[in-house]
Amino acid sequence: MSIPLESILKGSFVCLQPLRVDDAEITFGWRHSDRAKLLNMGAQTLDQQRSWIASRPESERNFIITLQSGDPIGMLSLGDIDLVNSRAEPGRFLIGEEEKVRGIPVAAEAMFLLYQFAFEQCKLRRLFGKVASDNRRMIKWQLFMGMQKEGCLRQHYFIDGHFQDAIIFGLLEEEYRKVATPRLQAMIKAGHHPAVH
Amino acid sequence: MSTQSIVTKIALDALVSLNMELPEDKQVPVAEDTNLFGNEAVLDSLSLVSVIVDVEGGVSDAFSKHVALTDDEAMSQTVSPFTNVKTLVAYIVAKLEEG
Repeated sequence: MSIPLESILKGSFVCLQPLRVDDAEITFGWRHSDRAKLLNMGAQTLDQQRSWIASRPESERNFIITLQSGDPIGMLSLGDIDLVNSRAEPGRFLIGEEEKVRGIPVAAEAMFLLYQFAFEQCKLRRLFGKVASDNRRMIKWQLFMGMQKEGCLRQHYFIDGHFQDAIIFGLLEEEYRKVATPRLQAMIKAGHHPAVH
Repeated sequence: MSTQSIVTKIALDALVSLNMELPEDKQVPVAEDTNLFGNEAVLDSLSLVSVIVDVEGGVSDAFSKHVALTDDEAMSQTVSPFTNVKTLVAYIVAKLEEG
């Protein structure tokens, strides 16, 4: 089996579209916003961003998150796809257009589409990832989605002016089905729910 | 202190905790009429999950009972529990009073 080719993954609120070199300008802007300060340092120039996108290896699938209107609002990746060991690492998760997504479960649906791609299309057994210890909202997010805390790499990152631990998370296929899927589907359903004020 | 008062404090504390993780210009109003998710809402998915995790944990600690906020029952309410803080509190209090 080979890694499924990049294709558009469609949800009810968002789509994941393959990242292209033409997306360099908008993704470069997102990577240098306040929201991205807890992520690893990215490209420092627009040309570097273009080169980075153009040089993505076969073992990665990188996506732009768009609304159904086609407006790009963020990015998300599945990296280190290893079919022998049946695992991969979701990452580069960034919502760049916060004002456009308030009240809409774009992060939940984007992550659910990526999980479906990993477990249903790539037939993986395990996803794993690292989160900087100061990124508390993302840590809660990972735990909510069924990720298990598997360890800690002490003072692994130098981000935002100081050293931070990297918290290691892992999600097995059965946890994806039993925990992540119902919770993410509930979040998506909440976005469809008519609010009464 | 009534059940409603305790749950309201837990929900408002969750918003205070969320604000500690947000930049100055993204602060969320800490009030009972703050719209959480859906039309005119102030939270995105990540922030809503932060509130859900803190409120579920706070309720569990205070009442030794788990109230799931993202199960089918919560999602099938006529008025979404996530409409605002008041609706969230009302849903939790009703679940706690079920015994």
